[in-house]
Amino acid sequence: MITAGIDMGAKTIKVVVLKDEEVAGKSIVVAGFDNRASAEEAFAVALEDAGLSREDLDAVVATGAGRKSAPYSARDVSEVGCDARGTIKRYPNARTVIDVGAEEGRAIRCNEQGKVLDFALNEKCAAGAGAFTEAMSRALEVETERLGAMSLESGNAVPMNAQCAVFAESEVVSLLHARTPKEDIARAVHDAIASRIVSLARKVGFEPEVVLIGGVAHNIGFVDSLQRALECEVIVPDDPDYIGAYGAALAAAEEG
Amino acid sequence: MATKQLYETRKLECWGKAKEIRENYYRDYATAHDRGALRWAGGAWTFGAIPCGLGEDVYSITSEPYAASIAANREFSNRCLEATERAGYARDLCSYMRNYWGSLLLDEFLWGGPFPKPDFIWQDHICCSHAKWYQVVCDMEPDIPHFSIDVAVGPEQEINDNKLDYLVGQMHDGIEWLEKVTGREYNDDLLIEAVHNECRSTSVWAEICNLNKAIPSPLEEKTMYSLYVLGTLMKHSKVVADFYEEIRDEVKDRVENGIAAVANERCRLMSDTQPPWGFLSLFRYLEEYGAISVGSLYTFGLVGLWEVKPDGTWGPRTTPQQLGIEIKDRDHALRVLAEWNLHKPEWQHFYSPHVKTDMMVRIAREWSLDGVLLHYNRGCEGLSVGIAENRLGLIEAGFPVMTFEGNMGDEREFDLARTKTRVDTFMETLGLKKE
Amino acid sequence: MFDQFREWETNRHEYAKEWKERTGGKVMGYFCTYVPEEILHAAGVLPVRILGSHEPQNVTEPHIFGMFCPFCRDCLAQGLKGRYDYLDGIMIAQSCLHIRQAFTSWEKHRPREFSYYLCMPHHVQSPRALPYLTGELVEFKKAVEEWTGQTITDDGLDRAIEVYNENRRLLRSIYDLRQAEHPPLSGEEAMEMVISGQMTDKEEHSGEMSKVLEALPVRGNGRDPGVRLMIIGSEDDDIEFINMVESSGATIVVDEHCTGTRYFWNQVEPREDRLEAIAARYIDRVPCPTKDWVDRTRIPHILDLAEKWNVAGAIVMQQKFCDPHELDTVAIRKALHEKDIKTLFLEFDVTVPIGQFKVRVEAFLEMLNDEDLFD
Repeated sequence: MITAGIDMGAKTIKVVVLKDEEVAGKSIVVAGFDNRASAEEAFAVALEDAGLSREDLDAVVATGAGRKSAPYSARDVSEVGCDARGTIKRYPNARTVIDVGAEEGRAIRCNEQGKVLDFALNEKCAAGAGAFTEAMSRALEVETERLGAMSLESGNAVPMNAQCAVFAESEVVSLLHARTPKEDIARAVHDAIASRIVSLARKVGFEPEVVLIGGVAHNIGFVDSLQRALECEVIVPDDPDYIGAYGAALAAAEEG
Repeated sequence: MATKQLYETRKLECWGKAKEIRENYYRDYATAHDRGALRWAGGAWTFGAIPCGLGEDVYSITSEPYAASIAANREFSNRCLEATERAGYARDLCSYMRNYWGSLLLDEFLWGGPFPKPDFIWQDHICCSHAKWYQVVCDMEPDIPHFSIDVAVGPEQEINDNKLDYLVGQMHDGIEWLEKVTGREYNDDLLIEAVHNECRSTSVWAEICNLNKAIPSPLEEKTMYSLYVLGTLMKHSKVVADFYEEIRDEVKDRVENGIAAVANERCRLMSDTQPPWGFLSLFRYLEEYGAISVGSLYTFGLVGLWEVKPDGTWGPRTTPQQLGIEIKDRDHALRVLAEWNLHKPEWQHFYSPHVKTDMMVRIAREWSLDGVLLHYNRGCEGLSVGIAENRLGLIEAGFPVMTFEGNMGDEREFDLARTKTRVDTFMETLGLKKE
Repeated sequence: MFDQFREWETNRHEYAKEWKERTGGKVMGYFCTYVPEEILHAAGVLPVRILGSHEPQNVTEPHIFGMFCPFCRDCLAQGLKGRYDYLDGIMIAQSCLHIRQAFTSWEKHRPREFSYYLCMPHHVQSPRALPYLTGELVEFKKAVEEWTGQTITDDGLDRAIEVYNENRRLLRSIYDLRQAEHPPLSGEEAMEMVISGQMTDKEEHSGEMSKVLEALPVRGNGRDPGVRLMIIGSEDDDIEFINMVESSGATIVVDEHCTGTRYFWNQVEPREDRLEAIAARYIDRVPCPTKDWVDRTRIPHILDLAEKWNVAGAIVMQQKFCDPHELDTVAIRKALHEKDIKTLFLEFDVTVPIGQFKVRVEAFLEMLNDEDLFD
């Protein structure tokens, strides 16, 4: 059976093609102004990667913020549902999934079948997503990619208020003026996001194994902050961006 | 959950009359002075029965329903909110207050014309904002006399004479004050009549909500709001007490004939706190999944008065009249009124969220619910106090809970699209797909 | 001179634990200054005010909705993190909705052997409040007696009342010294002194204050007081902020807030019925915003303080999301402006952006200094 899952994220679109439950191909494309066109591009790349064509697909499921405008999919499944499916398949002992993307942070508790038991999303007042690190990188005048490594170079915890993203940004400015080393500020930024995410995780009551997925999982500074805040090990897949699309492809196989 | 089945539905016959009563209410208030009548303003929870003793030509406007009506008109609401912000009031204050003050500051009544000034303010105080709401009104309009009664004396199981005396004492003082500011002589018979009406209307409202235990539900929450509001306007009036009995009879008939509010009912939920008034379409969205909200502690227990029946379930509170109690005099009437209101379910949670959890779990069980929608309402601290603990308690009791953040009266703080997505996810976890 | 107060305030938990060990007595953690501490004292209990630690935290989200004030969440966090595990009891006197949640969540998730919710009336301006509160105190006293196994006698109450009144008198006396042209103590020192008193044995605290009161009149401060300011707020214990303000060319000479003068301003006046006397003190005291209605009595009081302490400006330290105080600030600022006292409005969270606040404080002080120049 050949299925595909497409995750129409706010910043990037991911497609995963499954052939008999094995990953045959995948792609990641920056979401352009024309969402649908970017999605079609993502499909094309993933299918080529798999050496297949569109006609080979038995079923397609879409997920992500932009899923209503996904091409080729017969149905859509929530991000929460896809995250749970994708994670459990890869890590059968996973019971908590934390997904931090560009615009949204989620905490999901699931059982051994990948059924969602409870979930929490970041609310109005939250510095808990990728867009925040981008804003902070700008304030610190470093590349976003550098921010994670920089924070690991810090040996100092500088408290930063994590509730309000706007407040936090002005705190960064304050810290800069007070000549706080950038490494310490970078760490403070990651600690702040981690704190927000841990609040979410506590809301659903996290239990091991805890798996972190989503674009922000690439940020080693954030992973470090999260592990320290949770006081437990966090598993990060090699391809954290794709787990949602992978879960969607698995969901497509369920229907069949 | 029930299999795919379509129930018979029918529009509520009493619908038109509900609208009429509400329209008359606001018109009577606005035109009171033309008839030489008195008019006052106060909260929906105030002891509205008491000013009735000033005569048969006394009209009121209750602040929360008026503010909710403003909130439903998003364009006007935004102007009111902005006027309030320009005057320096914080955005996180109760959104009902901000809408109400805005209407005053703009001097625009929601239904046209200038805001009809009340002759006096008659308020209660249970949440932090209540008496101060009108304190601010008096900052804006210093010549309006203002009296507030503190009702925060503790949960119903701890009612004692000391607490009742405090409440009743303030009520007595209030009556003296009313006589002074209006120059009228107080009529205890009118008070007694109003107290009986209030007990009747609030007990019958509970009866109506109780009928929603039936599967399928004869009513769903969005419809109930339009009926429940009448109790928040003048639960002390014969008009509302009689009308609630009419509604009850019609709903009873619906239950007997299996008439549903929503034809494809297959998932029963309840909500909590006031809904985002400008976005009641959210309830219609639920129906796409065959999900309905059968009510909430808010709809059931703010106007309705309840008690535990011999069989251990919740039912409408037996009224003093039903118990054969004859109210002898003013003091007796006030005591009956005070005690009756102290048993109000939505006054209990102020003392402990765990008490509210117990009531919510009871509703979830007795009304056969599949899940709960909690509105983390940034616009009302009084009703969302302790809501996070309610969530934990409901989950512990085995009920799936979805939370969504919003604001009952400030549309800028509610994201309908995002909330719908969240509903999609929640429905998925309940195993429901759209029809 | 104020080091002892700072020591107590910074090491509040160590103090309480040491007190327990030394006396074998019980410690009651309380929320809200309407708690009738005199009754607790008469039963040999040490009341300690629960305050936050000004650290960002991630433990209260499941318990308290984020739109409630940072202070109540900070307080609950202390409990959830086990920092107050030495408490034998917790209690609250009814005031605002926000802090109530810290109490009810704490009661459920970190239960103590004793907890109490005192229904302190809100309608303090009504003559009915006194008999009501007196009745509630009768019940409260019984509950405390049962908990501690101590009988609370009239003598015991008299002693407790005197201890508390003495502490209040000393605080007032020291505050009076701040009326001087060169106040012999800074606002930061005053804050340490007042807050530490809320978490220590009152007699110990009074002893220390007596020493300070003697030494202050001859203390050469040498420090230019700069602009004379008052702070107005709900709950404030942001010592870092006060320090910043006073390093910018100003001195806080008086305050009207919950952890400040509202805590100690009024005495218990003697009455035959001791519980009634105590009740009267809590009803007649300078009110929390939640209890200041129908009339606004905070305003004449604030104006009086401003006049007597000769303040040039006021900083309104608004705790984020604190509705009751937000309902007062517009009227308070208007009243101050009518008396030509300028105000600076700042919103506070658990941690504060000191840098950004400094910019605003400096601009405010500059404005006030310019005023003097052109007078």
